[in-house]
Amino acid sequence: MGLRSYIIVRVLLTIPMILLLLSIVFVVIRVMPGDPVALHFERRASEEAMEEMRQRLGLDKPLYIQYIEYLGGLLKGDFGKSMQDYSPVGQQIFSAFPATLELAIFSVLVAIIVGILLGVRASRSYNSLQDHSIRAFGTIAYAIPVFFLGMIFQLIFAVELGWFSTGLRTRPTMEPYGLTLYLNEPAGGFVTVLLLALPVGLVSWALCFVVLKKKRVKFWPRGFLLSLPAFLAGWIVWTLAAWHFMSVGVLHMSTGLFTIDSLLEGNVVKFVEALKGLCLPSLTLGVVLSGVFIRLTRSNMLETLRVDYVTAARARGLKERAVVYGYALRNAFLPILTMMGLQFATLLGGAILTETTFSWPGLGRYLVSRINYRDYTAIQGAVVYFGLIVALVNLVVDIFYAYLDPRIRL
Amino acid sequence: MRRLETKRTILASFLPGLTSLTKRGSAGWMVIIGSVIVSSIVIMTLISPWIAPSDPTAAPPVIDNPLRAPPSWEFPMGTNKLGQDMLSRVLCGGAVMLQVAVLSVFFCFLIGVPIGLLASYTGGMLDKVCSLVMDSFYAFPGLVLAIAIAAMMGRGVVNMAISIAVVYVPSYFRVIRSQVLTIKELPYTEAAQATGAKGRTILLRYILPNVVPSIVVVATVNFADAILTAAGLTFVGLGVGIDVPDWGWDLTKGFQLLPSGAWWVITFPGIMIVLLALGFTLIGEGLSELLNPRLEQ
Amino acid sequence: MKKAKDSRKGVSTTVIVAAVILIIIVVIAGIYVYQVYLVPEEEVELKETLIMGTTDTVESAVDPAQAYDFFGWEIIQNTGCTLVDIEPGSSATPEDFTPSLATDWDVSDDGLTWDFTLRQGVYFDDNVTEFNATHVKYSFDRNIGIASPDGPQLNMEYDAIIDSVEVVSKYLVRFNLKIPFASMLGLMACQASSIVNPQYAGGWKTEWSTSDVVWYTNGTTARTRNPIDLGPYKLTKWTRVGDEDQEMELEANPNYWGADDGYPKTKKIVIKFYASSTALRTAIDAGDVDIAFRHLEALDIEDLRDDPDLTVWEGTGAAIQYLIFQEEIPPFNDSRVRRAIAAALDRPTMCETVFLDQTSPLYSIIPDGMMGHTEAFAALGDANYTLTQSLLAELGYNETNKLPIDLWYETSGHYPASEDQALIYKSSLEASDVIDVTLKSADWPSYRLNRNTGIMEVFIYGWYPDYIDPDNYAFLYYAVWLNHHYIDYGEHYAEMKAAYDAARATTVESERVAKYAEIDDYAVTDCPVVPLWQGKAFAVTKPDVQGVFLDITQTWRMWYLYAEVE
Repeated sequence: MGLRSYIIVRVLLTIPMILLLLSIVFVVIRVMPGDPVALHFERRASEEAMEEMRQRLGLDKPLYIQYIEYLGGLLKGDFGKSMQDYSPVGQQIFSAFPATLELAIFSVLVAIIVGILLGVRASRSYNSLQDHSIRAFGTIAYAIPVFFLGMIFQLIFAVELGWFSTGLRTRPTMEPYGLTLYLNEPAGGFVTVLLLALPVGLVSWALCFVVLKKKRVKFWPRGFLLSLPAFLAGWIVWTLAAWHFMSVGVLHMSTGLFTIDSLLEGNVVKFVEALKGLCLPSLTLGVVLSGVFIRLTRSNMLETLRVDYVTAARARGLKERAVVYGYALRNAFLPILTMMGLQFATLLGGAILTETTFSWPGLGRYLVSRINYRDYTAIQGAVVYFGLIVALVNLVVDIFYAYLDPRIRL
Repeated sequence: MRRLETKRTILASFLPGLTSLTKRGSAGWMVIIGSVIVSSIVIMTLISPWIAPSDPTAAPPVIDNPLRAPPSWEFPMGTNKLGQDMLSRVLCGGAVMLQVAVLSVFFCFLIGVPIGLLASYTGGMLDKVCSLVMDSFYAFPGLVLAIAIAAMMGRGVVNMAISIAVVYVPSYFRVIRSQVLTIKELPYTEAAQATGAKGRTILLRYILPNVVPSIVVVATVNFADAILTAAGLTFVGLGVGIDVPDWGWDLTKGFQLLPSGAWWVITFPGIMIVLLALGFTLIGEGLSELLNPRLEQ
Repeated sequence: MKKAKDSRKGVSTTVIVAAVILIIIVVIAGIYVYQVYLVPEEEVELKETLIMGTTDTVESAVDPAQAYDFFGWEIIQNTGCTLVDIEPGSSATPEDFTPSLATDWDVSDDGLTWDFTLRQGVYFDDNVTEFNATHVKYSFDRNIGIASPDGPQLNMEYDAIIDSVEVVSKYLVRFNLKIPFASMLGLMACQASSIVNPQYAGGWKTEWSTSDVVWYTNGTTARTRNPIDLGPYKLTKWTRVGDEDQEMELEANPNYWGADDGYPKTKKIVIKFYASSTALRTAIDAGDVDIAFRHLEALDIEDLRDDPDLTVWEGTGAAIQYLIFQEEIPPFNDSRVRRAIAAALDRPTMCETVFLDQTSPLYSIIPDGMMGHTEAFAALGDANYTLTQSLLAELGYNETNKLPIDLWYETSGHYPASEDQALIYKSSLEASDVIDVTLKSADWPSYRLNRNTGIMEVFIYGWYPDYIDPDNYAFLYYAVWLNHHYIDYGEHYAEMKAAYDAARATTVESERVAKYAEIDDYAVTDCPVVPLWQGKAFAVTKPDVQGVFLDITQTWRMWYLYAEVE
């Protein structure tokens, strides 16, 4: 089946899965004994007060209506209201997620780098002491409770050596604000906006170029001329959008990822502080995850290094490193990618524990804290969000995998 | 004749592994080492009431030990915040985790194996529906689901085991399903069907014995994961009560002592958890390699 | 030929990659060095700003009609203003009340009418509206009218005390009380009595409801998220991630009536919120914050005392913890059982082991440092197992037939070291050989619900004062909202209540002291509630920080804090 039809089928399959997931969460949250509303009153609350709370949270309606509203709300991005102070749970989730995302990204980076480097080493020295100790490391790494490793790292690097302080994501006053453009001064402001819109133009130009290349259009002169409008369009549109904001006064862009925000702000000190804050948590989570990648890389490399065309490449006299990293790794890439997708669920789970250990203000810690407060709507919202994210990531990974390896589309 | 055959089939699955464990290289060694680790910890936990130097649940004013004392001759593993002897707590602390692990595997067997066998053998709508349900559970971040369920149900060994079991049943289902689908196509299964054997007979006599090895492998991984998840649940406050000695609890409470440098409170229980999880993982990996040997050159 | 080409290709790829990485590292390092060392400090000088770290968080809102948690009150106090203040460092006796928004006050002979003369020339933050008596009436009407089911009015019950607030003239406001209330000034000084700015509090209304509460989700700026005004500071920044506060910024309010005297001393306070005491400890250790206030573990405080780069401040505590018996459940309706359990407790060991003597054993419901404090419960003793055994023997409990107890504690960290305390109490109760303790726990919301439904046999509870007066403690023995049914089963409830009411109505100190002692004595006989310990207040700061007052009022007055520039 073609790629397009595979994507369609896959997406269609995801929908019932997500629906099922949402329903499961809905049921789990409502199946607990006792009245959730009664938990949120200081004194034995009057019936009217409890009824009012139920109405505000939509809990007084019959279950099937609640279910419909729950699903409908999720389509709009409404995750309900917190039972503590009626604030929108969605807002809380979206504000907490970037921290978890940043942690996840850096942890995956660590896991992949460590996994690939060690896996390759192990495969190159098959059955030696190095191989065995790396495999042992991989197995042990996966058997360590992630929060225990986090504590050990804190003990060694923060308490004993004092290289890191583990209080916050970054030191006080080092929180980046992201990109803030005050567009009140015309001259300097406008030029800045023009310059900043330039990358957007370049990106659209690059995209157009890729499309053209697929259609085998020669770059010069046809390709270049055809993609020029894309470049100009991107640049002008973005400049106009920013010009619109000029009348509003301030253009503020922040991603919530401290590393990116500090670069957007142009403050390298904050960037380094953000990296320092990320160091221990992502190292912890990354090491625990790397075990899987070590084993995967090793076994894939072992298989691939003995395949015919690799032998042929060696015979042609390519340098060993080129053989290893060039041919063999490229073939291990696919399983690694799939594994990354599979591990994503584990990553999020591990992130919860890592965030609790390092006081990282992310979605995991939000979930744990809401559990302590018995804030059922917030718990439901956070669990649903986790599930949706994992489903989405799995979908993307599957599609990407299908794009790269036509065999599995069958 | 048939009975002998099935017995032979069962043995045939295990014998290759058992008789030549040590000859099978690293895989065999993994199983041996893993089994040694696990059995020593289990034995240690079982005899702990007799070998522990002091009562792990005793607290001041009944005991009067120095608080947060580093390891010494009197307290080989030091004392914790309340002066409790860490050695006794480490010896006795495995009980909760082992109970949770065993219970969760038991629940999984009870639920996952029958559903897996039935759904994949019957095929059709049942199979599709079950697969869909299991896939949704499988894709879900395990710890999140376990936390949500444990939060709803409350504390306790049984509740922890249930939440872990719910997260793990899909793995059993998947493994069983892929095995059953393969075996269903094999000639001797078709032959049995041709000679008019009932579905139940086929399931029990032909399929189940061949599926058992994979189930065992998944079970060992289940054990290891149950231990880590139980520790995780305790860490976020969903574990057992505080008067039961538990490694997870020692880790959680010992965390507060880290900034003052009291490393011994978390290190020893943590190492025990790692060892236990490692033991099961080794057994699982070794068995899996023995039963599905990879091409080695 | 091919070989040479290939090998050149191989070399150059590695070299290029390595070179690119090296260049990136050098560039980043260069900019870092430049920005750290060479760029002149554009940030505000540290002494203009002080950074405070805390593990607290605003539990509900920064609205005097809703806030009933310590930190909410802390912010309200520093950004708002009340009619009277309490002299910092004093013990909050009637002589220690100082003028704040009221410059003078008068009470009628029958104690039912209080007149407050207001300060003139104080403006709200629009610089146009002048503070006057209508704003006082507005604030109190609003607070009483909203009557939030989990706000301050729950316990403080203004509407049981205040009949009406009357605007006599522009700068004269009158409180007509329903009963003579000795601690009226204390009530006027507490944060629930803060004056709010009508512009941000919902406008001029006559009918109020709970939906008028101003929450964090109200609007998008710190100004719209709180209705308070007139204080030493303005809340200029308040951010939350998820459900936890991340950062707050307080900046000096130029309209504050004390601004001419130089208050607040530090123009800007940045509050950083840490998720755990371990995190806060590492932060103050590393020097990331100038002040660490609430909560540091007992162990951390002891450690930090030895640190020459830090100052540990210690002050009187007014927080107490006590044990409650649910008298609806037999045999806890029998005072002998309650007294037996009280006698078996070992407070000194608990304070020493769990809190490293940073709390002190408490033998009266009124803490030490406050008028009316006694040592009444010392009569029952600590670890007084002979008394326990003899009392329980009368009911047929002995070594073979032990009294089974369910001892409950909360697990959400609402109270400090709940689990450790529970273990110690269990240990000391079981050391009597005639009691068998089962520990049970619940998270704070469930714990509270259990209290309301009365299913916990014996449970640990705590109390922070609303205002500084023994009146705010003595009622705990029989408080209805504790739901322990002492009112139904207590032998001396009527006498206690009478003594309490009498103490409330008079202003003669010796009379009040006598009444509170009487209440304590009844309590020792009946043991409805057993006082356990009294906490101290701690703050850790860098050595150059001054102006820290940790007094009986349990308030954190930020406008006195300062650190001199060297």
